[in-house]
Amino acid sequence: MTTDALPLTQTNAPADAAEVAEVVRGAFRDKMPVYPIGGGTALDYGGRPTAPGVGLSLEKLSRVIDYPADDMTITVDAGLTIAELAEHLRTHRQRLPVDIPHADRATVGGVVATAPSGPRRYAYGTMRDYVIGVRVVDGTGMEFSGGGRVVRNVAGYNICRLMVGSLGPIGVITQVTLMVRPMPEASALVVCEVGDFDAAERILAALVHTQTLPAAVELLAGPAQQQGAVLGPMLESSAARVIVGFEGSELEVDWMVGQLRKEWSEAGISTPITIEPADAAAAWDWLGGLPADVQINVRPGATVAMIEQVLRLDSRCSIQAHAGNGVIRVGWSPSQTPPVALSPSETPPTTLPWRELRGAAAEAGGNVVLLSHADDRQLTARDVWGPPGDAATVVRAIKDRFDPQGILNPGRLDYGS
Amino acid sequence: MIHTPLVRELRARLGAENVLSAPSELAVYDCDAYTIERRRPDVVVLPQSTQQVAEVVKLAKRHDVPVVPRGAGTSLSGGCVPLGGGVVVVLARMNRIVEIDLRNRMAVVEAGVPNLRLTQHLAGTGYHFAPDPASQAASTIGGNVATNAGGPHTLKYGVTVNHVFGIEAVLGDGWIVRLAPVENPRELDLIGLIVGSEGTLGIVTKIWVRLTRDPQDYRTMRAVFNTVDDATRTVTRVIAAGIIPAAVELMDQGIMAAIEETMHFGLPLDAGAMLVIELDGPAVGLDAQQERVIEFCRDCGARELLHAADSRQRERLWQCRKSSGAALGRLSPSFLCQDGVVPRTRLPEILRRIAEIGRKHQLRIVNLAHAGDGNVHPNVLFDDRDPDQVTRALAAGRELLEACIQCGGSITAEHGIGIEKVDLMERLFSE
Repeated sequence: MTTDALPLTQTNAPADAAEVAEVVRGAFRDKMPVYPIGGGTALDYGGRPTAPGVGLSLEKLSRVIDYPADDMTITVDAGLTIAELAEHLRTHRQRLPVDIPHADRATVGGVVATAPSGPRRYAYGTMRDYVIGVRVVDGTGMEFSGGGRVVRNVAGYNICRLMVGSLGPIGVITQVTLMVRPMPEASALVVCEVGDFDAAERILAALVHTQTLPAAVELLAGPAQQQGAVLGPMLESSAARVIVGFEGSELEVDWMVGQLRKEWSEAGISTPITIEPADAAAAWDWLGGLPADVQINVRPGATVAMIEQVLRLDSRCSIQAHAGNGVIRVGWSPSQTPPVALSPSETPPTTLPWRELRGAAAEAGGNVVLLSHADDRQLTARDVWGPPGDAATVVRAIKDRFDPQGILNPGRLDYGS
Repeated sequence: MIHTPLVRELRARLGAENVLSAPSELAVYDCDAYTIERRRPDVVVLPQSTQQVAEVVKLAKRHDVPVVPRGAGTSLSGGCVPLGGGVVVVLARMNRIVEIDLRNRMAVVEAGVPNLRLTQHLAGTGYHFAPDPASQAASTIGGNVATNAGGPHTLKYGVTVNHVFGIEAVLGDGWIVRLAPVENPRELDLIGLIVGSEGTLGIVTKIWVRLTRDPQDYRTMRAVFNTVDDATRTVTRVIAAGIIPAAVELMDQGIMAAIEETMHFGLPLDAGAMLVIELDGPAVGLDAQQERVIEFCRDCGARELLHAADSRQRERLWQCRKSSGAALGRLSPSFLCQDGVVPRTRLPEILRRIAEIGRKHQLRIVNLAHAGDGNVHPNVLFDDRDPDQVTRALAAGRELLEACIQCGGSITAEHGIGIEKVDLMERLFSE
């Protein structure tokens, strides 16, 4: 694991939550920044750290504490990897239905703090829908807990929700209780290609009324997707691919695939291909692990128009959209040759046009988050989040209560103070 | 009339017809569906816009008077009771369905829209609003947000917080915040924090809700068992087989007897428990799933099994569950509908403990449970004209919630803390 993204003076690896609390208490006394580290898969996500400090690795907190499979919950230490979690759940044919990249390294605590999601969010939601209990060490070194081990619980403030995607500034997560789901018996994907984006929007709008229950509604476009790895290359005349994923019993998946093909055929959408159950797992994994440099969030209905704007700004961008959710992930591939000359500009920009993207997203009522880029390390040194919204003052106030010295992950989440 | 200057200012801002201050008018607002504790507010306002709510909050703050928001007043835990007096802000007149946007699978509603009205409004679109608490005919979506309300379908479809993705709210200083309907990773999940905060963080005035696809078809079954353990084992078998029912409602012997005494459905009085199980989803898979569920029921000793062949029969199977409230009303002058939750597999244990508590306090306690997620509703029957019975009912309610905590559960799954359970919070969260 590389922790280059963090300015660490040293790294501690406490053996349990009490030792985590001890490290934070010491840091609190010394006003020393603390950077919690899980699997190190998302250390470059968020703003740049603002001061040197100590790394706090959760790797030794890796036990499964309680797995009452019949209750469909599991309580684990924050340092358990997602792959290990999945392994335990598999013994009871259960799973956490959230797509998490780098599952072999990503940890449960890290995933709660960074809240990654993927194609399956269309049907199953995101991390926030599965975290039902947390144990946390706050910025003074005090341990506290939120939620519990029951799937339905409205006693007190929903501290779990506050932790999901918080990027560490509320506290160091030491233990998590998750609600889990049964593993589906079968899955398949249906893929079609469209010649232009109007057709893509027509398909997506029609999917709102499909008789089927998609688990995922994805749209792929741009040069990298054109080449198409797992799915094979797109036709040269195609502008984008729409992928609909299904999960369920064999009977259900079989029927849904047939039904969608029927609906598409009646709408004049020609020759969709079906990725049959035997190959579906590889396609899901590929879709769940595609990298991106920028994430744009808009309303689902604004997805296609936004993608067109992105490609007009720089046709070398490659797009994976969780189109049913309005989440557009943009990969900037300057070395790619654009398949379609959408951009009228003679000289292509030398950097991702993120300012223009942000303007366009704001106009559509959305926002842009800069993730990272291997060819452009400075990308995330810029304005990762864009302008603060209504919530900034409230977020700041909450942060100050849990971490009065401001020692937890300083800089990672910016509050517009 | 107390706070006269405040009342005068409120009238000037909201119009006299939207400000109630006569004792006879205020009496209506002295409690909600939790009738054991009452307190009359000093003034009641019925604002018609978010701006008016903000003005009310600012005025109240200036006069140093507490504010309690109120939807339809269906809280079972005293969530709308103004214990400290002050202003009750009734959101019932903010009842517009602002927008239905199927392309984005969402609706925008004002806080005072009754839950069922939204779903009725959506009839024919193929979509509905999934949270359906028993109070849904009256309770408002704003109230559902305040309590993070559930209903019988939560195991499969989630609770209110899973269906809310935008909020407009007035905070304690009168500031209006709008938490975007588009996810913004730079913000903590303040929506998730506000949902279920019971009006203590702000007054929610407008809500962006996610709409859920109507199921293509249903299969509804009713199974009668000799013991609660048999019924619970059935639920475990169903879920272990990877089948998540749309609803699994458990009724114990006590509530079956109560329903039978008043409604005469022909329920067996010697049975230990009954389950109403509903499956939904694509029609093609349902028969096979139903067969498996029936098999599990038989394996676990079901002595009587019915399944609905059509929607009329489905209604009738549900009738015995849905009429429980009315049955209890006829059976007893008052009943305290409690709300506790335990890990599902510990339902038999908690029901045994509840029976012991009933015997100890010489009170009849009958139980309903959303068995899929371990949410149990013990109904403590008592006569509110007898102070001794009231004391015993409250003591029994408290003890059974403590038993839930001891079983690894929590003191509320969907009704909220209200004024009823505030003193139990310390028990739940201290270790």
